[in-house]
Amino acid sequence: MATLADSFLADLDDLSDNEAPGEEEAGEDDELGKEDVEMPDVEVNYDDLNTVAKLQNTPRYHDLMKKVDEAIESGVPATMAKLSEDDPEYQLIVECNTLSVDIDNEIGVIHNYIRDKYRLKFPELESLVQHPIDYARVVKRIGNEMDLTLVDLEGVLPSATIMVVSVTASTTNGKPLAEEVLQKTLDACDRALDLDESKKKVLNFVESRMAFIAPNLSAILGSAVAAKLMGTAGGLSALSKMPACNVQILGVKKKNSAGFSSATLNPHTGFIFHSEIVQGSPPSLRTRAARLVSGKSTLAARVDATMGDRLGQTGRAFREEIQKKIEKWQEPPPPKQPKPLPVPDSDPKKKRGGRRLRKMKERYAMTDMRKLANRMSFNIPEESSLGDGLGEGYGMLGQAGSGKLRISAGPSKLSTKVKKFKEKKYGSSGATSGLTSSLAFTPVQGIELSNPSAQAALLGSGTQSTYFSETGSFSKIKKIV
Amino acid sequence: MALLGLSTLTHKQDVDAMIRDTLDKVLVLRFGRATDPLCMQLDETLGKSSRELSKFASIALVDVDAQEIQVYLHYFDITLIPATVFFFNSQHMKMDSGTPDHTKWIGAFHSKQDFIDVVETIYKGAMRGKLIVNCPLPADRVPKFELLYKDI
Repeated sequence: MATLADSFLADLDDLSDNEAPGEEEAGEDDELGKEDVEMPDVEVNYDDLNTVAKLQNTPRYHDLMKKVDEAIESGVPATMAKLSEDDPEYQLIVECNTLSVDIDNEIGVIHNYIRDKYRLKFPELESLVQHPIDYARVVKRIGNEMDLTLVDLEGVLPSATIMVVSVTASTTNGKPLAEEVLQKTLDACDRALDLDESKKKVLNFVESRMAFIAPNLSAILGSAVAAKLMGTAGGLSALSKMPACNVQILGVKKKNSAGFSSATLNPHTGFIFHSEIVQGSPPSLRTRAARLVSGKSTLAARVDATMGDRLGQTGRAFREEIQKKIEKWQEPPPPKQPKPLPVPDSDPKKKRGGRRLRKMKERYAMTDMRKLANRMSFNIPEESSLGDGLGEGYGMLGQAGSGKLRISAGPSKLSTKVKKFKEKKYGSSGATSGLTSSLAFTPVQGIELSNPSAQAALLGSGTQSTYFSETGSFSKIKKIV
Repeated sequence: MALLGLSTLTHKQDVDAMIRDTLDKVLVLRFGRATDPLCMQLDETLGKSSRELSKFASIALVDVDAQEIQVYLHYFDITLIPATVFFFNSQHMKMDSGTPDHTKWIGAFHSKQDFIDVVETIYKGAMRGKLIVNCPLPADRVPKFELLYKDI
């Protein structure tokens, strides 16, 4: 798309230049006679279509179209597999491929032109109808009408789009165009449609000759899809240079108009996805099949580009392979055999550890009370529940002299500790001015960092009462929020 | 019996070979007749579970009517049909199921799972070196019979 980019850049450079169109045309035709594909970087007079869309005026275009018409009339050549590189038919086909790409570019340029002109009339239309040819058709039908109920868009657009277009047209803030502008726009639409027609003719021609150009590729995909692929790629050699993933994507339409959900659109559904061999497989396997077919067709295209197999046997072999693989995917999985039981005790049980388990075990652990009850001290007879050695012995319980059999239950090691919210103490080293910092600059050491806990130590230990102290300061220094 | 996948043994050598050559697996020998209905019931249980137990047990059927097998009947004291005897590494395993006779299992099993439980218990006990194990089945699942005492 270098040509399109070039023309846009040229537009940006000189938007106000007004050169006489007559001189331009004469000069351009000569130039284009020499250069094959590129459009020259001339200053563009945006008002005139001919300065922007030049392809139809070139002799090259006319020649090719004539040749194509002749070839279509002459029918299928008698010599089947003899299409070598030197054959004029082959050359024609190669040129047709490049021409179809050029036509595409040209249509794009014209579409921009139409769009820019029609923006004054109906700005929203470009976002509703993206496809250039559809846009051109719609513009032709609507013309200068302000009321869309008088316009019949049947057959040009799908009904949903017609509805949206009609609704948007009723609220559009566009104004009718001047007569000459309208005429130019309609001319441009006609041009675009003409180009579309010629492109279709070219593609039909290529398709009819496809079996001789790329026998292997058309053996897998069929002539129509193969022709489309070649046309979009820009020739057989260009197609062969693409990686298979790109080949799979060729021909995907990006119709993501605002307001329509993109969740239902299938990803990666290009020409290959819609080919017969992929559509013939069950819906769940289609993506896989598309990937497989694109891989094999890329190989076939490479074979064809290097003229490796003129008879198409490689292509047919690939096709069979693809069909076999698709059938294999559809086979049911092998029946499940009942598994024999594992040998008992072959895998030792995985014992878990950790804090949780220890906490669980704590509930059944030996309590301190029981431990004390189990022990006895020397030379001291233990007491028992029924007295006189009968009943359960108390051991060391209750021997402290308090008479109670209870012992204090200390906190278990595993209990979660309650955290006290520690208030941060901001100690002030005497001066209360807010501008002072805790850093004290002493002549000896330089910077001395004050220790906030030193302030706490000044208060003395907690046991001594500071209530009546003469030297003590406030007992609690807390920052008042 | 071929349908069940279990081999039937009629010769003494076969039985000997079987007992000798089954290593580290429980060997289940069913002594019985194919035509006996209770035997058929037991055979089906054995056949259905043979694949599941294949990792630690092997099962074989011994025809009680064969001439060479009578020695075994005398040795194991088999009088009631069907009788199942368990072995582990050529060692005869006994099981206490609450019946008078611990050396063999008389009758059919109530369900496949019962049989699997019994074989697992025997395997576990044998791996620990025991020669007699306790039956894991509750008493109502164990077929009851009366011992016939002959010539005592």
